[in-house]
Amino acid sequence: MPRLYTEQLSVGYGERVIVDRLTVHIPDEKITTIIGPNGCGKSTLLKAMTRIIRHQEGAVILDGKQISQEHTKLLAQKMAILPQTPESPGGLTVGELVSYGRFPYQKGFGRLTKRDYEVIDWALEVTGTIDFKHRSVDSLSGGQRQRVWIAMALAQETNIIFLDEPTTYLDMAHQLEVLELLQRLNHEQKRTIVMVLHDLNQAARFADYMIAMKDGKIVQAGTCEQVMTPDVLRHVFHIDAEIGRDPRTNKPMCITYHLIKGDAKHVEKTNDVHSSFVRPHLECVR
Amino acid sequence: MIVPQLRKKQRIILLALLMFICMTAIISMGTGYSSLSFERLMPVLLGEGTFKEQFVLFSIRLPRIAITLLAGMALALSGAILQVIMRNDLADPGVVGINAGAGVAVALFFLFIPIQATSFAYIIPLVAFCGALLTAILIYALSYNKQTGLQPIRLVLIGIGCATAFSGFMIVLVSGADRTKVDFIAKWLAGGIWGMDWAFVLALLPWLMTLVPFVLYKAHRLNVLQLSDPVAIGIGLSLDRERLALLLTAVALAASAVSVTGGIAFVGLMAPHIARALVGPRNELSLPVAMLMGGALLLLADTIGRNLIEPDGLPAGVLVSLIGAPYFVYLLWKKK
Repeated sequence: MPRLYTEQLSVGYGERVIVDRLTVHIPDEKITTIIGPNGCGKSTLLKAMTRIIRHQEGAVILDGKQISQEHTKLLAQKMAILPQTPESPGGLTVGELVSYGRFPYQKGFGRLTKRDYEVIDWALEVTGTIDFKHRSVDSLSGGQRQRVWIAMALAQETNIIFLDEPTTYLDMAHQLEVLELLQRLNHEQKRTIVMVLHDLNQAARFADYMIAMKDGKIVQAGTCEQVMTPDVLRHVFHIDAEIGRDPRTNKPMCITYHLIKGDAKHVEKTNDVHSSFVRPHLECVR
Repeated sequence: MIVPQLRKKQRIILLALLMFICMTAIISMGTGYSSLSFERLMPVLLGEGTFKEQFVLFSIRLPRIAITLLAGMALALSGAILQVIMRNDLADPGVVGINAGAGVAVALFFLFIPIQATSFAYIIPLVAFCGALLTAILIYALSYNKQTGLQPIRLVLIGIGCATAFSGFMIVLVSGADRTKVDFIAKWLAGGIWGMDWAFVLALLPWLMTLVPFVLYKAHRLNVLQLSDPVAIGIGLSLDRERLALLLTAVALAASAVSVTGGIAFVGLMAPHIARALVGPRNELSLPVAMLMGGALLLLADTIGRNLIEPDGLPAGVLVSLIGAPYFVYLLWKKK
């Protein structure tokens, strides 16, 4: 059993069911990416797993305990979350913001201890934001700001880090910068990372484990090779994709794709062609 | 993680505000309808004045100064909390219907319940306090959603709606009433400091003495509340519980102030705003500044207003707006 999993988890707003009786296991010390079309419930799943929204049925289990019955401060020592568009009050400096990551460990008036300062500096160092320590968060570029938010999550010193589309609004270089930082954290410190990503190729490239969702249910979960298949992509995104190999990382990637039009028969046919095109799978998990 | 220079700057600002308050208080002691000149201040303070001088200073001016200061502090602190909880720089105690609620309660009480003049002055604050508290509870109950908890934007909208409804109700109440009674209510609403007795100081002081340390204790939680909800939850803040506790604190602070001073709106909006502009968004730094700023503002407004038109003076609430509005316009202009 992994440390974190859900059991028959259902989340909805009023009558509308967003996540439908979903059971998913998050492998420890691996990078997991969740993919799926807009409105498939991937963000909602992430929010429910991190107690940001309440679920209606089922349970999220962390270390053998339901998170809904755990003290929220204790949870914050075990898992950190970087939401989609975090906001900070105007004029706050980078160092101050990152110091808020120490909140779960603070008592009383919230004075920072020597150890708190060490962790904050370490988080700034790792994310390459130490030079901005005394600058205002508003004055940073999108990529720098995202790294600062990651630094704040790191200051929480949690084993599990959730990120909801951490690369949105960033250009290609900054996207890679953020994802490579997360990969390094995973490799060097064995942190479990769970993130929602929009870009399929990035999702496959950085993930050890992938979850493809549609209409609040999981279509396929497993290694990149198991998830990045024409079948799965056709079903989940309604696209007709050709899957090849990234020559550098040897991860599966969408080489070309287009929207599926016409009747189901046609879809079946193209699928057959592509199945034979895919080369034998290699184990994705290193 | 606060830069030492900023801490130093905050200390200097606090010191400057204290000096300003002392100066204003001295000016306030030496001016007014009854004659008590500045040269006589020292002797009277040392107990060498005539009976009349003693009476003017100790029973009229000093309690008034104390009440104004305390009320200004309470309003500023309340406004600072509400601006954080509602994530809205334009929030102030008026937004959660405290002024309107207290106003309706006072109007209803004054118009329909016959009481004797002697006990009247001491019952009004109690009535205003209950009115404010009930309104805040009503607004909270209406804006609480079982699924999503307390949404700041809902709180603001319902608060403004209730405040407007109560103001309308008050016009209906007042329109049919007797002229002298209407005069009193209108004056109360405009925020003329009218509780001018040590008894009112004693009514106000316990609130401040318990709630100010409590709010300062909560300062770092207020910091976290300034972040967006998911971030605050993610770092382990019990959002609903903290919000409710702080909302009740803000209501109690503002209601206790409004109950002795009448409806004063601008202080709670302006003082926290100026404080943040001076020392940044960290609450452990900005709250003390906001508090002193609020006290200083209201004291200044009352001192000026009291001496402008003899013998009744201009209500402090009106004066605060006259002093505060230009600064606020300047702030907005600077932001662009």
